[in-house]
Amino acid sequence: MGMGALSLGALADSPLAAHAPHFAPKAKRVIHFFLNGGPSHVDTFDPKPMLAKYAGQPLPGEYLRTERKTGAAFPSPFAFQKYGQSGLEISELFSKTAAHADSIAVVRSMYAQVPNHEPSLMLMNCGDSVQARPSFGSWLLYGLGSENQNLPGFVAMCPGGMPIKDSENWQAGFLPGALQGTFVDPQHRELDKLIENIRSPHASTAIQRRQLDLLRDINAAQQRTHSDPRMESRIQSFELAFRMQMEATDAFDIARESAVTRAAYGDHVHGRQTLIARRLLERGVRFVQLWHGAGQPWDHHSNIKDSIRKHSGDIDGPIAALMADLKQRGMFEDTLILWGGEFGRTPTVELGDAGKSQLGRDHNHYGFSVWMAGGGIKGGMVHGATDEFGFKAVEKRASVHDLHATMLHLLGFDHERLTYRHAGRDFRLTDVSGDVMRDILA
Amino acid sequence: MTLSRTKLASFYGGIAASWLLATPALAATDHWAFRAPRDVAPPAVADARMVKTDIDRFIPSKVDAPLADARTLIRRMTFDLIGLPPTAEEVESFAKAQNRDEAVGQLIERLLASPRYGERWGRHWLDVARYSNTKGYVFSREERRFVHAPTYRDWVIRAFNDDLPYDRFLLLQIAADQLVSEGSRDLAAMGFLTGGRRFIGVKHDIIDDRIDVVTRGTMGLTVQCARCHDHKYDPISTEDYYSLYGVFHGGEDRLIPLAAVADEELRKRQEKLSSTMAKRREEAAARLRARVADYLTAQGEMGKYPEEGFDQILAADEIIPASVRRWRDFLHGAKSHPIFAPWVAFVTKSEIEPGVIVNPLVAAAFATPPKSLAGAAQRYGALFLDAEKQSAPEAAELRAFLRDPDSPTTVPDTGIVNNDQFFPFTAIEELWKMQGDVERRLIELGTPVALIVADLSPEPNPRVFKRGSASRLGDEVPRQFLEVIAGEKRTPFQNGSGRLELARAIASADNPLTARVMVNRIWQHHFGTGLVKTPSDFGVRAELPSHPELLDWLARRFIAEGWSVKAMHRLILKSAVYQQAADEFPSQRLGFEQLRDAMLAVTGELDLTTTGKPPELLDAANKRRTVYSYVDRQFLPGVFRTFDFANPDMHVAVRHETSVPQQALFFLNGAFAADRAKALSARLTGEPDARVQQLYRAVYQRAASPDEVNAAVRFISASKSDVASAKPVRETQWRYGTGEYDEANKRLKSFKPFPYFTGSSWQGASAWPGSDTGWAQLTAEGGHPGNTRQHACVRRWVAAVDSDIQITGTLKHEPEQGDGVRAFILSSRSGELKSASVHRSSADMSASVTVKAGDTIDFVVDIGGTLSYDQFLWSPIVKVGAITHDARMEFGGPSPESQYLAPWEQYTQVLLLSNEFAFVD
Repeated sequence: MGMGALSLGALADSPLAAHAPHFAPKAKRVIHFFLNGGPSHVDTFDPKPMLAKYAGQPLPGEYLRTERKTGAAFPSPFAFQKYGQSGLEISELFSKTAAHADSIAVVRSMYAQVPNHEPSLMLMNCGDSVQARPSFGSWLLYGLGSENQNLPGFVAMCPGGMPIKDSENWQAGFLPGALQGTFVDPQHRELDKLIENIRSPHASTAIQRRQLDLLRDINAAQQRTHSDPRMESRIQSFELAFRMQMEATDAFDIARESAVTRAAYGDHVHGRQTLIARRLLERGVRFVQLWHGAGQPWDHHSNIKDSIRKHSGDIDGPIAALMADLKQRGMFEDTLILWGGEFGRTPTVELGDAGKSQLGRDHNHYGFSVWMAGGGIKGGMVHGATDEFGFKAVEKRASVHDLHATMLHLLGFDHERLTYRHAGRDFRLTDVSGDVMRDILA
Repeated sequence: MTLSRTKLASFYGGIAASWLLATPALAATDHWAFRAPRDVAPPAVADARMVKTDIDRFIPSKVDAPLADARTLIRRMTFDLIGLPPTAEEVESFAKAQNRDEAVGQLIERLLASPRYGERWGRHWLDVARYSNTKGYVFSREERRFVHAPTYRDWVIRAFNDDLPYDRFLLLQIAADQLVSEGSRDLAAMGFLTGGRRFIGVKHDIIDDRIDVVTRGTMGLTVQCARCHDHKYDPISTEDYYSLYGVFHGGEDRLIPLAAVADEELRKRQEKLSSTMAKRREEAAARLRARVADYLTAQGEMGKYPEEGFDQILAADEIIPASVRRWRDFLHGAKSHPIFAPWVAFVTKSEIEPGVIVNPLVAAAFATPPKSLAGAAQRYGALFLDAEKQSAPEAAELRAFLRDPDSPTTVPDTGIVNNDQFFPFTAIEELWKMQGDVERRLIELGTPVALIVADLSPEPNPRVFKRGSASRLGDEVPRQFLEVIAGEKRTPFQNGSGRLELARAIASADNPLTARVMVNRIWQHHFGTGLVKTPSDFGVRAELPSHPELLDWLARRFIAEGWSVKAMHRLILKSAVYQQAADEFPSQRLGFEQLRDAMLAVTGELDLTTTGKPPELLDAANKRRTVYSYVDRQFLPGVFRTFDFANPDMHVAVRHETSVPQQALFFLNGAFAADRAKALSARLTGEPDARVQQLYRAVYQRAASPDEVNAAVRFISASKSDVASAKPVRETQWRYGTGEYDEANKRLKSFKPFPYFTGSSWQGASAWPGSDTGWAQLTAEGGHPGNTRQHACVRRWVAAVDSDIQITGTLKHEPEQGDGVRAFILSSRSGELKSASVHRSSADMSASVTVKAGDTIDFVVDIGGTLSYDQFLWSPIVKVGAITHDARMEFGGPSPESQYLAPWEQYTQVLLLSNEFAFVD
């Protein structure tokens, strides 16, 4: 194999080499706003006027057990309004995002398995609440590879540290380690702290170039007696690394954006990480996951009125700015946007010691909302419904496997055929179930 | 090297024919791997010249096939057996040997006798054992590190070095608690079972992980697939799975120190834990005794209670779901119980069995049948409350029941890791914290500790969880071995949990899988690929063995040689097929550990310390073999993943082998390879061509060719001319380091610059306090002296011109504790200019002096009397005429250019990054 035969593409034994999916995809990349902690659906995308009617009274019907005790119906303190031609109802908490209502499909009938963060995070990210399984992003890289070998193909950003369950959320499981998400804390501003070993403290670019030239010559001499594609691959990995240093510097540097763009996203960590995400997607990164913050900021057990307003305020502007920006750049049509958490919250009020109201909501895995927009999504619509109070998904119930199957479909995959042989079995992201939600497809 | 399917069919005989015709499900029990290895004789070969061991009769080489040259062979064998390169001297003496076969024999013996052998082969097993130093995700109250992991690692390494027979090796890992005496070091072996993820304490998942590591690890069987439904391909049923589940369910995890620890602090912490535990257990038990009626009522509404793992109670007055289940299990076997026989009769709508003597108080209470389950529960509740108050002899039996350690009205005395679900939230937090205090102390002390599984009193038979759900119990199954191996007529395990019987059934010459799986693993690590390509899946869907006769012959030979792993190495390494020339032999790309260790070895830096506390992989001071590094499964450093290190979350049979630019970035830009290049080039002496030869000897164990020497010389001279033409570096006049104040002469005895800059402070190493200079540190504002007066911290100013200078500044020590610090201003020309001692106080540090260019002014601080609370603030200002040198403003790290590698270091780094270094023929 001649020198440079692979110089522009991926390495022969790189798991990141680009592959074609099963069929023509609608979306080529994904951005996932992960509202970790569990966003309340009845305060955001699933209006429930009946809660006002029952305010302060217990809900009729079966008491659904969640993690903690809850009491009476707790109406949303926020106003909902119809937006766009479709008249999609969205709460005032996301009034900026609502400008894109006609692009958004809300799935109001999601459900998970248990009312606990850890297993639900695993289910949402990896399709299995217990076992160590590859995350959605790792599966996607396994299936599609990356379009840009000079950047990591899957980036997880979380300001201030890691979410609960740490890097398990973007793990590669039994897939090659290189398919795992690369964690970036956007609170750092220096590139060296964003990506490991991206700059050399002990060689200038000129020194390094001379070293790499020598390395190429030494390796080429050895190649004359040894022909092994793995050796060729390793040679190329040094050239890629050399270029990656330049490309990563560029991708993470939002100072290269216009002042207008930076202002639209907002000069705060959520604005910055959303703008970095767009720069990454633009450069061919396959999957960017934006977490709200370390721990579980959206876990609004008490005093939800103030805390959810703050957290929505952090991201409403950046999400709206991203959607507008993608549309303007012609990237909206093939970028899939996902918004959601690991579960939703109870429509009833959480009770603390001695049955005292906490003015907050407990975890709710019986019913919650996510929404999608962009690549292949029919906007301005709602899929499924929770009961009249928003406790439990009742119409067109959608499991996390259904969500993953739908996303994979948009990305060009039959989720039943995207498999990997491990421990004697062909594993898939959706385990043994999952139906594509056809009605939300454009 | 592969056989046709027809040939395979003839080897395994007619029985396998249908299976070979791609109808696996039909003939699963006839699957070759489930039948005993055949007794095959090594085939006769026409020309025996190429036969070095019997292996060569199974894989005949061409008669004139070339064998590897001496250098290739010794490198191949050395990397294979000890994971390190040979030295140039070893290569030369091996090459000189007259009789190659004899030299090979001696080499093999030398390598197998080296303690480095266990470090290499132990690591292969640690991949199988999903080894990690941490528990995975835990709640913040719990210590996240395993106490026992290093002890298990060291046990594995030693077992390989000692050539512990493999059957014994397995027995101990699964059931050492029942095989060796208390305090035996072999208890550490059980880290195999107990080293998995903790799954935040969810028992079903912990057991599932153990079933997987045992069955895939030792027998290549994917039993885990049968957790929710019968195995899709292999003849393993859900019943089989739950039979094993039962084996692992009835035990508790118990920490056992393996060496006497005389540590007062540890004793105090243990005492606090055990007395608090006793108190909380009794409080919980008192609540259980008082609420028998509620727990019996709960039996009729089991669905109300969350399943294990999600059943933590918050308040003390809540019904404890774990106790509800304990009651359930107890009542399940209580049809002849003197107190509960009437309950069972009522629930099962049957008569009390003849011969059962019911307690008279109970009999009286049930003289008339109760109307409902709740009614029956109320009667029992009243009986027990009453019995607590009266002294009638019939009541004694009831009271005794309430306090029997096996009764559901008690809390098992099994440690917080096993019994936390019985306590309210506050007690759990409290007890876990105390448990953590004990664990942290043990880790600190570095005490060898085993984490064993100890069987508790016998439990009822396990029941199948329908579709894997613990809340949907199916049929009861006995604890017993897998049907596919033990046959339809298997007898259930007889003793306790049956774990020892399970271990014996696995580590048995009669088990068709165990020996085959291990010889295949050995083969895999010598040839890159196993005879079976899926070393942990020998099921019906696995690819067929490339050489079935050889596999069977090796397996039987392995057993016949007393399960000696070293005997297998000898057999394989002496064969002609292993000694083939490079073109015929699959070259090996060094894995992460070998690459890192080899770099340390060729630079002469490798630290051969064995056993003990795990150092951080990326700590610049860590020069030990990689196998000893800290493996944190929850926060695995990116470099491990980048280099395809075995994922410590799961049993790994074959590592991935990938090339990604992040690997190159680690070696190009990370400190590790640069540090190695510096260390090796520092050893070079003489003229350029001699230096090149020294490097080639060290790195590749061969001489450099004239072309290679020329290329090196060209590189060095180009690089040097760069350095010469570079702009001069502007440096400040400040230096930072440590030294000792000379009391007699009032001068500084020595000055040693700090080697490490963190971005905000100068210190001895990346870790602070560092090993050599201790707490010594300088920041812009002040700093901290080193641990003794020999390690004062010294901020040095170097005069650039002759002049008079004025020094100003204030020294400040703030903490109330300790006894403060001493400070001096010392001129290299004029001696001591000022001194002060401060403790919770300040001192003016002004002085004037005349200096010549090159003179130094040292600002020295050492500990007062003792090392305690010695941080200080002092950033002097030096005025030279109109120019001000402010120590705080001018504080900083080294200039970028001063950090660049020198030409020979750049060149050395390139050699370490080359393919010739990273691949072994």
